[in-house]
Amino acid sequence: MGSNVRLSFDKKPELPKLIALAALITVFLVIPQFMRNTQLIMMSRIFILAVYGMSYDILRGYTGFINLGQAIFFGSGVYMGVIFLNMQNDLWFFMMAAGSIFVASVIGGYVMSKIVLRTGGVVAAAMVTLALGEIVRNIAERWRTVTGGQDGLPLRFSRVALEPLFTTRLGAYYFAFVFLIVMTFALRAFVLSPTGRVLQAIRENEQRARFLGYDTQKYKTIALIVSSVAAGFSGLVFAVIVRFANTDYLSITYTLNALLITLVGGTGTLYGSILGSAFVTWIQNFLLDLNRSLGWDILRYPMLFVGSLYILLVIFMPAGLLGGFFQLKNWWDRKRLSRATDNTPEA
Amino acid sequence: MGTIVTLVVNGLAQGALIFLMASGLSIILGMMGVINFAHGTLFLWGGYMYVWSYYAIRLRVVMAWFEAAVPVTRFGNILTIQGVQLPPGETLPFLAELAIFVAALVIAVGFVFVMGLVFEKLFINRVYGRVPAQILITLGIQVVFTDIVRVIWGPNPFPIDRPPFLNGVSTIGTARIVHYNVFLILVGLVIAVIIHRILTKSRIGMVIRAGLQSPDHVRAIGINIKRYFTIVFAAGAALAGLGGALYMPLVGNVVSTAGMSNQILAFIVVVVGGLGSFMGSFLGSIFLGLMGVGIAMTVPGLSVVANVLIMALVLMFRPNGLFGLAVSRAD
Repeated sequence: MGSNVRLSFDKKPELPKLIALAALITVFLVIPQFMRNTQLIMMSRIFILAVYGMSYDILRGYTGFINLGQAIFFGSGVYMGVIFLNMQNDLWFFMMAAGSIFVASVIGGYVMSKIVLRTGGVVAAAMVTLALGEIVRNIAERWRTVTGGQDGLPLRFSRVALEPLFTTRLGAYYFAFVFLIVMTFALRAFVLSPTGRVLQAIRENEQRARFLGYDTQKYKTIALIVSSVAAGFSGLVFAVIVRFANTDYLSITYTLNALLITLVGGTGTLYGSILGSAFVTWIQNFLLDLNRSLGWDILRYPMLFVGSLYILLVIFMPAGLLGGFFQLKNWWDRKRLSRATDNTPEA
Repeated sequence: MGTIVTLVVNGLAQGALIFLMASGLSIILGMMGVINFAHGTLFLWGGYMYVWSYYAIRLRVVMAWFEAAVPVTRFGNILTIQGVQLPPGETLPFLAELAIFVAALVIAVGFVFVMGLVFEKLFINRVYGRVPAQILITLGIQVVFTDIVRVIWGPNPFPIDRPPFLNGVSTIGTARIVHYNVFLILVGLVIAVIIHRILTKSRIGMVIRAGLQSPDHVRAIGINIKRYFTIVFAAGAALAGLGGALYMPLVGNVVSTAGMSNQILAFIVVVVGGLGSFMGSFLGSIFLGLMGVGIAMTVPGLSVVANVLIMALVLMFRPNGLFGLAVSRAD
């Protein structure tokens, strides 16, 4: 597997690219000043779900392992964030939540890898992770005293979380943006590290990597743990933005969101997740708005549209929107080239 | 003693139901190397189609039969499901009730069979031999078609009745035997025998087993292996549909999340029994059904996690299934 399109990580960033990146970051630092609250929330969600998508891409794009229980880590992050911030809404408790999520995700990822990676098959792994995810959601739904069951768990204390740091949606926007930048660099560093290189080797040809003497199980376990920690952190920051936890965040719906984000952006590209998250979040927002203004019954089921889109993507654009665009462009270039050569009069 | 008999019958009935679901999944996986994450949706469609057609037919028959009959509460959204109150003291003759029940089953299973045909032609066809793509595409189908059920029949659960002639309970000694459970066990056994015969003795089983080993040879002697694959997929779907249709009267409550939860049960059976093995899924279903009832009796708090725990342990220590029956092809 793996896609034909991969943004190159090999080259050292060149000066023009760095300037472009700086300009982009500046734009995203300035534009929120001109945004309404709803737009700020949407942008914050896009940033965080981009990190969630990247966490998924580390697994699926870089090891080929399809984890249908990724939402366990994301949802647990959201729940732990809300629970800790409900005790006391400040940075210290946020840090404590982050620490607990780190520990829980490492343990959870390790246990999951022990169950799932043993057999090696993609089928068994997908089946088991789906079952694990449903069970965790089921337990969360029954454990009402802690999770609030189906009603969900709201953030109690304040309108906006983390009092001393930000008291506005604007602050939350910057928080999410900084989170995205930090996590992007961290995950990029991981992918570029020797460990990340071995993972790519495993994705391309696991048998060969094993013959070269790498303990592929160990590397896959590392990937799963890194992925689960990143998903947990994105859940924590998501809790700050949405100020609410419910079992949806643990369910297959959110795993599908991650899959869709990586599919739209192209698997194995890491940065593609940012684009994917923007697209997916925007579409879901758009459907909600449409539902509000039109009130059609069918619009109450956003997964109907998102899921259909997802099926179409899997069939027609397995390399993602970006990849699909490049494929189209290649096809067009080749066609133009061949037409140009056809038209040249023979000497 | 009586309690044990009751429990065993209940467990076997659960097992029979899981078997209907798991066998289709397992056959598709073992024979075609296709993993179907939309199996729960097919199960759900079977259930809703059964309930809808059963109630629709019964309403019309009863209204035509008795002048004094009154329609009662209705559920649903685009399509509705409406019960009917018979005049006091009156009943439909047994044969009429049986005919309604069988007709509803046939409609449900037939509909899901056609769904299977369409899914295979539209989607599965494109992803033979590509397991990750199969997982992704069937998962998408699962989500979309489950939501379509919610659009058509509404998202809220509603109660339904069993057919009157299957609704009784007999007491033998101290054991309480629910008739519907006995019915489920019989259906499960009959289906198991039929499938086993087809797989081992019939031409279609032979062709598919040959097609797995060497598709080129099968094609070379003029057999359209693709058509066989389509039929096998649709037959697996129909089994899931039958499972769904028989599940709804058992629990007496129609919920749109039943598809996913039963799909997971079927997955667990398939893993515990050994991936792709028909015999394994038969034994696994019985094992899981009995275990589920036993745990619900002794440690009810554990019943949610027990199945997954079993699956996790089997995967960790016996990756070829509890009975070591996994078909190597199924990756």
